[in-house]
Amino acid sequence: MVEDFPKFHEIESPIRTFISKRVIGIDQNTSVQEAAKKMVEFNVSCLMVVKNDEIVGLITNDDLKKRVIAKGRKPSIPVKEIMTSDLITADIGISVKDALETMATKNIKHLPVKEDNEIVGMLTFSDLIDVQKQKLETHISRE
Amino acid sequence: MKILHISDTHIGGARYFDKKALEHVVKESKKGSYDLLIHSGDVTQEGKKRHYENADKILFSRLEIPYVVIPGNHDKRSGGIALYKEHIGSPNGVLELEDSVIVHVDSGVQDSDMGRVGMIKFDMMRNALRKYHKKSIKVVVLHHHTIPVPMAGRERNVLSNAGDLLDLFLKFDVDLVLSGHRHYPNVYHIDGTVFVNAGTASGKKTRYGDANSYNVIHVDEKRLSVETRRISGEKDVDKKEYPRHEQRIFFDFGKRVFRIIHVSNTFISTSNIFKRRHFFNAQDIINSLKGDLLIHCGGIVKDGIPKDYDLAQKYMKEFDLPVVYSPAGRDINYLGYDLYEDHFGDIDQDFTADDVYIKGISSAQYDTPEGIIGEVQRERLFYQLNQRDESFKCIFLHHNVLPIPHAREKGLLEDSGDFLREAVDEQVELILTGTSSHPFAAQVGKTVVVNANSLSSIYQRSLFGNSFNVIDVYEKVLVVSEISSLWGTRRTLGIWERNNQSEQ
Repeated sequence: MVEDFPKFHEIESPIRTFISKRVIGIDQNTSVQEAAKKMVEFNVSCLMVVKNDEIVGLITNDDLKKRVIAKGRKPSIPVKEIMTSDLITADIGISVKDALETMATKNIKHLPVKEDNEIVGMLTFSDLIDVQKQKLETHISRE
Repeated sequence: MKILHISDTHIGGARYFDKKALEHVVKESKKGSYDLLIHSGDVTQEGKKRHYENADKILFSRLEIPYVVIPGNHDKRSGGIALYKEHIGSPNGVLELEDSVIVHVDSGVQDSDMGRVGMIKFDMMRNALRKYHKKSIKVVVLHHHTIPVPMAGRERNVLSNAGDLLDLFLKFDVDLVLSGHRHYPNVYHIDGTVFVNAGTASGKKTRYGDANSYNVIHVDEKRLSVETRRISGEKDVDKKEYPRHEQRIFFDFGKRVFRIIHVSNTFISTSNIFKRRHFFNAQDIINSLKGDLLIHCGGIVKDGIPKDYDLAQKYMKEFDLPVVYSPAGRDINYLGYDLYEDHFGDIDQDFTADDVYIKGISSAQYDTPEGIIGEVQRERLFYQLNQRDESFKCIFLHHNVLPIPHAREKGLLEDSGDFLREAVDEQVELILTGTSSHPFAAQVGKTVVVNANSLSSIYQRSLFGNSFNVIDVYEKVLVVSEISSLWGTRRTLGIWERNNQSEQ
């Protein structure tokens, strides 16, 4: 769960307190359609892809659009065929500023986060944006 | 790392202080190969000069290992904090060791038994945790407890900002939070953080005939264990052991077996405190979610008056799923007690489905926001639960049993310590509450505890606005999501494995 967008003065803070620490995954042989259903159900923009309890990749909203729908591929193909397997990860100790810079440089919106060489969470650009969106929705909807 | 955790030595006159018990602790510190001794406050009985001099003579000057100590409320009596600084040192601080950090903070309020971590100290803790967050073992020491303690009488001295502290500790993945104050040893594992209360090491005021005690804590790369050792008495040692790393990626959910819609504080009335648009938008969203049951954790109406109840009955009938209720204090004030039964049925309601048992318990009292279940009622509740064969059991009530962030802690049940302990020991899978109008979810042992925000009242505390929760019970996991009342935006509050091999 992402709770807050880092405030300006927190830009040098470690990403530890801004990441989602409970991440939803999917088995690599599950169909793309099932993956999409899971993303819709939990309102998440990416899923970790798992093979025998090991993380082997990541699929995102954009992957579904670009690698399946735009290419006319069937929704029954397994997620392993469209996942990104060369994961760019960040250490839990890096600052928010450095994490955002990595995301901007590599042009990615999802950054799996590692501690002691294990993935322990996810920093998701769209989650951070959603937080702002929800606050804005609350602000403009005063009754 | 091996820590000797002691608390509440109450060094003073013989009426309050057992010198032999303290002698036992001092000997233990020499023979147990400890890396560190941590004293979580109430070193002295009354904070007097002679008590501090005695503490130095019979305890601190004899220790041969490093130690960390903080003041408790007794140490701050009669201006005792000045003497504490003179004899012991700074009441707050950070001890950095090779692979660990100990952040220790004075949570006492002078001449009061209350606990509080003020804004300056809160920032100091946050900054220290931020600076040392990569340390392998992070320990926080506070005299007052963050989580209610069982067998310690009426809950009244939990830290006033316990909810914000709990949130801070969980966000920074603190490993251990050590406290004292309640003179009863207790351990909880909450989402990867272990909260340890020590009993009194040498005070004569023990609870329920328990003996004096201390804790032996071992932390290695994979496990954290807490052993409570009684200095005398029948029950010598309690040992609890926890894994240090939790499951973070969830992919195998199994089939969904039940969906609960969890709401609170609708405050239905003709007053503008009730947000009609939020209520009706939420009602449409809820009806589209195809839940199996709606649980209303109280605050149904603004006041217990006929006009509000008539309106509430009319509006609540428009939900397309079964509804069960538990009242808040405001629901039973004025004529509410009778109106509640006339409009919504029994005070304590329950629901049964295939392999699912959901039981409401009233915690509300007339004309007060404070809650209590009561000993007789609590015994009856757990007796009833034990008679049931269903594998999924849930209790719902109005008052919170875990502290809630962004709220001064005042809604906790008076008997929350005993209630929470019993629910966790009985492995009740889910507890739903609805106080303080802020969403929160955490797992204590194997029990997931969820609080709901206000669905449709102007009095709510979340920047995300009014909301309700959806609890999806799958075969293998339990997923708690928060959904905005107005927009239907969803975010996940937590995912926990069901019936896993984790401990209590």
